[in-house]
Amino acid sequence: MTGSTIDHLISLTVFIGALLVFISLFNQTLQTAILYQRQRYLATKCNDLLDNIMLNPGIPSDWGESGNVPIGFGLQDPKFTHYALSPFSLMRLLSFAGNRAYYNGTWYSNVSWGVNGGYLFLRESECVSYDLASKLLGTNGTYGFRLTIMPTVNVTIVEDQSAADHLRLNITVIGQNSPLAGASIKYLLYRISASIPNFVNFTTGMASTDALGFASLEFHNMNVSQNKMAYVFIARVSAGGLYGVGYLARNAVTNAGTIVPYVENSNGTILLVHNPVDSNAALHFNASFYVLSSNFQIANGGVLNITSGPWLVNYGDGKPSFVLQIQPPNNGGFLVVSYWKEDGKNECGMVVVPWGIGIIGLSIVFGGDSAGQGWVATDIRQVAVRGIAYQARLALWSLESYEMMG
Amino acid sequence: MAHITIEYIIMIPVLILQIFLFPLWASWLMNIWVDSRRTLALQEAASHIGSSIQQVYFALNPATVAAQTLTQKLNVPSFIENYKYTGNATLKSILDPELVSNKVLEITLKLEDVGTIAKATVILGSNVAWRESTFVSSARASCIIAEKLANGTICLSFGG
Repeated sequence: MTGSTIDHLISLTVFIGALLVFISLFNQTLQTAILYQRQRYLATKCNDLLDNIMLNPGIPSDWGESGNVPIGFGLQDPKFTHYALSPFSLMRLLSFAGNRAYYNGTWYSNVSWGVNGGYLFLRESECVSYDLASKLLGTNGTYGFRLTIMPTVNVTIVEDQSAADHLRLNITVIGQNSPLAGASIKYLLYRISASIPNFVNFTTGMASTDALGFASLEFHNMNVSQNKMAYVFIARVSAGGLYGVGYLARNAVTNAGTIVPYVENSNGTILLVHNPVDSNAALHFNASFYVLSSNFQIANGGVLNITSGPWLVNYGDGKPSFVLQIQPPNNGGFLVVSYWKEDGKNECGMVVVPWGIGIIGLSIVFGGDSAGQGWVATDIRQVAVRGIAYQARLALWSLESYEMMG
Repeated sequence: MAHITIEYIIMIPVLILQIFLFPLWASWLMNIWVDSRRTLALQEAASHIGSSIQQVYFALNPATVAAQTLTQKLNVPSFIENYKYTGNATLKSILDPELVSNKVLEITLKLEDVGTIAKATVILGSNVAWRESTFVSSARASCIIAEKLANGTICLSFGG
């Protein structure tokens, strides 16, 4: 009799145990299915949102150029259709790429902090914040997103240090993870010499990449050792209908420091700030703004040329900055600032400031941080920014938490 | 004999209880799953319709686009698990000071016979008007009709 009772007790326990295991598994299967559906929904939302951003210019349609605060968010270039983005709207997105820059009580959006001698700081009050964009897109509080716009064709330009007596620039052109062989390169070179710093010499030329997407350019009349010469080099690369841009500026630190440009507003006010090494040393400079046409020709329409200087900044002498005013062009362009210290050492440097994303191939990272989010949907579009091929990637996540239980 | 009686007294009710409890529990869980599935499917449709409306609006909005009528076919399923769904929309003003110049269109979809409801909102400009209309998913040509008037107002409605 006792044996039968034990049998019953064991069988009952096993039965209940099996039932609980089954319930748990069944529950998990169903929740996984719901989670999968949520993720599919998120992916669809991501696709729709990316199209909404890429295929409308926003309201007003010229908010990127005019400096107005948009009341509708979109990045499409109002002068074009399809996936063509406005270089000026992109410029006004509050960058998430790096640390914010701070000068004289003002915060600046940091798109490029002297990377390869290229600067793009824009006053934050002029930028469209992530918060405002979320509100305008109707995702505020429900979804978080990050938008990354990066060149499809990566053009890397480096100085070859093995060339001791002249300047050699090595250019590497990479497409989507593979080198672009036979790509044609058209370049612009602005240079100054510390001995005649007031004169900017301009050269243009052509080259092409080899089977490894590599090209080497020799400039025998240039020797940049001891910062005796400086240059801004911008190359446009084309291969199979794709265009990419790369640049390199010799942002040398003279013994009087350097110049850091800050864009104050969309109307073209640029602050050139002395970044001193020796606070009592004056740094002379010239600045020219060049307008780029769609076929990579310089169309200098007299927008700015203050080479009639030289002008100077001197942090230690109450002249820490100089205010420049350019006329922002429709096509975009770039500001070339050359600076030097007039002493026995005769060092010089140059920096470049693009007016519009895409002019020198900068990237933009805009939005929130997806780190720690459970599920992030991403979608990609191939877009053009004034003819330059870019890839737009949107990462989207839900801010409403849902987890699997059971 | 006493042991056998006790065993039967315990076992039989437990087993009988299981016969009722298990299907009830399974049914309850399945209902949750089905409801979630339908709600999500409906939400996805609402969101897609909202996105399409926004795109149509922005396509017509630039000042360079002349007064005209645009029709956008909706790429949403006609049925969700064999149920058709209907929808309507209301245009509202926004209190947020940053969006005071905008209007929000709230789209509400309802799964017929089931009653499941999903909503989506889209932010549009101030020059938008909504013409009272109903979206019926099973209609052969369900679409969005956007009419740009000479004064720049964009009149939106469901068609089909």
